[in-house]
Amino acid sequence: MDPKQMPTFEACSSMSSQSRNLNQNQRATEFDARETEQSLPKFSSHLDNSFHQSNQAQQVAMNWDPRAVLNSLDILGQKIHQIQDIVRSTLSNERQLSIQPNEFAAQQQLINTDLTCTIIELISTAGALLPLIKNALASGINSPGQIGGVANSASDLDLVDVLRQNDNLLSDGTKDSEYEELIKGLSDWDDEGMKPISTEDIDVKDNEDGVSGENLPLGSYEVLQLEKEEILAPHTHFCAICGKGFKRDANLRMHMRGHGDEYKSPSALAKPSKEGSSEPVPIKRYSCPFIGCKRNKEHKNFQPLKTILCVKNHYKRSHCDKSYTCRRCNSKKFSVMADLKTHEKHCGSNKWLCSCGTTFSRKDKLFGHIALFQGHTPALSMDEVKSQGMSVQGQSDEVMAKEEDIDYLISGNVIEDTNFSGLKGADDDLGYFSSMNFDSFTFGGIDGLQQPSFDTSESLFSFHK
Amino acid sequence: MKGARQQHRHQPFHSILAALSVDLLIQILERVDDPRDRKAWRLVCRDFLRAEALHRRALRVLRLEALPGLLRRYAACLDLLDLSACPGLGDHALATALFAGAGSWLLKSVSLSRASGVGWRGLAALAAACPRLESVDLSHCVGVGDREAAALAAAEGLRMLRLDKCLRVTDVGLAKLAVGCPALENLRIKWCLEISDIGIELLAKKCRDLRVLDISYLKITNSSVKSISSLGKLEVLSMVGCSNIDDEGLQFLNNGSNSLRSIDVSRCDNVTASGLTSVIEGHMCLQKLNVGDCFPELAPLFLSKLNGLKDSLTVLILDGFQVSASSLKIIGVNCKNLSEIGLSKCKWVTDEGISELVAGCVNLMSIDLTCCRMLTDKALMAIGEQNKKLVCLRLESCSLMTDKGLEHIGTGCPNLEEIDLTDCPITDTAMKYLSRCSELMILKLGLCDKISSEGLVHIASNCQNLCELDLYRCIEVTDDGLAAIATGCSKLQKLNLCYCTQITDQGMKHLSCLEDLRDLELRGLHHVTSLGVTSIAIGCRRLTELDLKRCNLVDNVGLCALAQYTGNLRQINISYCPVSSMGLCKLLGTLKCLQDVKLVHLTHVPVERLELALRAYGGQLKKLKLFIGLRDLLSPWLIQMLQARRCRIRWVDKPLVFSP
Repeated sequence: MDPKQMPTFEACSSMSSQSRNLNQNQRATEFDARETEQSLPKFSSHLDNSFHQSNQAQQVAMNWDPRAVLNSLDILGQKIHQIQDIVRSTLSNERQLSIQPNEFAAQQQLINTDLTCTIIELISTAGALLPLIKNALASGINSPGQIGGVANSASDLDLVDVLRQNDNLLSDGTKDSEYEELIKGLSDWDDEGMKPISTEDIDVKDNEDGVSGENLPLGSYEVLQLEKEEILAPHTHFCAICGKGFKRDANLRMHMRGHGDEYKSPSALAKPSKEGSSEPVPIKRYSCPFIGCKRNKEHKNFQPLKTILCVKNHYKRSHCDKSYTCRRCNSKKFSVMADLKTHEKHCGSNKWLCSCGTTFSRKDKLFGHIALFQGHTPALSMDEVKSQGMSVQGQSDEVMAKEEDIDYLISGNVIEDTNFSGLKGADDDLGYFSSMNFDSFTFGGIDGLQQPSFDTSESLFSFHK
Repeated sequence: MKGARQQHRHQPFHSILAALSVDLLIQILERVDDPRDRKAWRLVCRDFLRAEALHRRALRVLRLEALPGLLRRYAACLDLLDLSACPGLGDHALATALFAGAGSWLLKSVSLSRASGVGWRGLAALAAACPRLESVDLSHCVGVGDREAAALAAAEGLRMLRLDKCLRVTDVGLAKLAVGCPALENLRIKWCLEISDIGIELLAKKCRDLRVLDISYLKITNSSVKSISSLGKLEVLSMVGCSNIDDEGLQFLNNGSNSLRSIDVSRCDNVTASGLTSVIEGHMCLQKLNVGDCFPELAPLFLSKLNGLKDSLTVLILDGFQVSASSLKIIGVNCKNLSEIGLSKCKWVTDEGISELVAGCVNLMSIDLTCCRMLTDKALMAIGEQNKKLVCLRLESCSLMTDKGLEHIGTGCPNLEEIDLTDCPITDTAMKYLSRCSELMILKLGLCDKISSEGLVHIASNCQNLCELDLYRCIEVTDDGLAAIATGCSKLQKLNLCYCTQITDQGMKHLSCLEDLRDLELRGLHHVTSLGVTSIAIGCRRLTELDLKRCNLVDNVGLCALAQYTGNLRQINISYCPVSSMGLCKLLGTLKCLQDVKLVHLTHVPVERLELALRAYGGQLKKLKLFIGLRDLLSPWLIQMLQARRCRIRWVDKPLVFSP
């Protein structure tokens, strides 16, 4: 386990817990805050109350303040007590025979979750005690390339080992793999978070077809090419149990909750991890499968596509039939639904017609045109054909389109919100350790912030475990 | 000459053309001015008629049914055709009439004002038939819209166009005209409320020769004024009641690139003295300035700037201001050439101020002092002494004026043509003084209840040109006074005798010799019977407007006489008259020119007969006034039919009260 990733995680969790009015007294330590500022500066603004602390904490880090260490040790003591409490409660639960087996399993799962989180915090706080690691981390943030190296340092590995041992001791053996995965997922996520692309990719429309701003040298990225069927498939993620298809992995995970409690665990709901976190991930670019297209890798002036969505949109626009027809003008056709929506927002508004046949959306534009050209006159409007009914319809269409757009652009966040509330509901029903619940939310929060709004995994067809 | 000789050969030997050729006849005709004499000329013989037809340049059609015949006779030489009295004129009738002179039309000017039946087809036919068309008047045709404007735009040579109150004309219609008629010099689009800044901007770009522009009451802003200011030849700009225009807009006019002579910014609420000052600064040749009802107080800066217009300014309208004596003195000193000043409803106008004003402006021809209640005879004395050229004086509601003041006017202003003395406490003596003004044309004596027949005798003795006389509620006036007026003022066209209750049929008989009488109001004369109305109908054939409201003795006989003789009657009010259905049916069935009919509280007419009469009417009703109780009693489709024929029905909600 990589301890320097923990502070980042803490930052995110404290941010999300703040915004969700959860108790964070146990967690918002000075160290956490300080690390937050260093590792993810863009989040620091969210930490309104810890921002001030973080400045102090940074100074502490520079001249190894024994008081701070003492403080941290106090916290460690608290954490250990917490773990003891949790384990005790597990034992007491086991003694109660009246509880149904299913329910017992669910409780145990929750207890395990709480345990895991507390242990992670323990490690992070303990890790913060070491000045060596802090300095390494600070330098590591400045140059992301060094992360891999730092991650391999001995102390880190030791901590991970300790954590694993603890896991083995505390859990009843069956959940081993799951915790490992969870921890791995966390570390993976952190690696992913360090990648420079994450925020750019959310803005899909802007760089849809284009790589205009990007001039990568030819060998510096990995070119992937999807097949036509893959591109045009309506769903890329399928439920292993019922076979239902989803466009997004996150939606599939939401769906999986309905198939049983085992899919409600934070690990099951977390973003699937990727192997090989140690080596730097190569930059991926995509090629269009259509031979002769400029976006095809065989083309001599090959211009790669940046994301999967770019591939999809490009392929539909350039190499597919335009199957969506505008319902108003019945002439404009589109192959991408979003393009149709955009068009429909403005369709029919070109009602200002010049005698030369040119149409304008605004009267002043038409009159400017007439002023410019000799002999042109405005054509008489089609009387009251375009009556109010039309405009009302137009408005409603516009609203509809707007909603679609919102969905389209920020769907990732929306999904995470539902994820969050779903989890919360489940926890409240069970009603155990509610004070610790924030950690389970935290995973959702991290996912939501860091996951691109669409899946960039190489295999578009993934099945949930 | 050759044509005349050929005609000569075919004429009988006793033809007058043997002695006088056509061109000589025309030269004689040119010296005959009076329309009545011309009518007599036409009736002499065919040759005279033909000569008149060759000479006539202008034609005003009073009755639609005469149009085809008239055009057949006059089509060749006509310059001006006035169809404003034919509201029933439709596209088809117009197109047919124009076909009569196809190919040979020399028409330059056509007036279709209030001819609301003409649509785009008629206008397209007009534009196609008359290649020399220069002037078209479509004012008050509320149905005229963009299509009509587009049809008219085919007349390339159009120079003058009036579109006042053409409510449906939008920017598109204006753009059509601006592109189609680039030679436009005079454009009036008052009350065309759909026109906005965009249209005005295009107009200013396309019609660079505009000299006269009326954009009153449009919802336009300062940017319109900016585009208008680029019109280099603009001389007259009228923008009454443009409340979106403020000082900033007026400053655009001050760009030195136009030759503005006259500007009217009255009722522009947001214009202040500083804006006007900038206009004055930019146009040192300004002749006419109308700033009525803009802002309450005259700023000293504005007054001092008037000094710059010293030589040019001739008309200054300051209605509704607070004008102190000192301000009037400054105006008097600065504007020596002022010929017209309007001080209507101005506060603080005193005798002293008027004295200072007229001492400076000796050339004043028109003075409007309506509702300047502080003025006394002293002001009139000053006016009478200084302004020998005075033509028009309005003194309505100057309640401190007496006969003595008017003595100075009578002696000092021999050229007086118009005087308004409504609600002034004057007596017959004042009439004696006023009768010295032999040029008097308009005399308003409403509510002067001390005026009696004696006063009218004085007026009639010397004012032969009188054409308009208002005796509203002059209760002392009797038949003898009317006898004097009828003999002395034979050119009278408009007479108001409302509530002069002493007048009887005898007075009507005297009036019946006024052949030019067009507008007669006899409201509330309860001694006048059908006999009196009959004599009026027989004598005053040109009558177009008649008010008989509350004439309690006028019945069917009077209406039948009107139906028979006054074929040009356009407006009639017979509310409260004891007429029966027979008279009403006769009236509405016979008169084809009626446009405005008021039929409130006709207690002797059953509903079904009223409906029949309205249905029988064959002309083009524009306005109809009925009691509101009939709204549910008349069949709905009659109302629908009337409204479909562009008739507006006003429902009156007044209880039936028989006034004394």
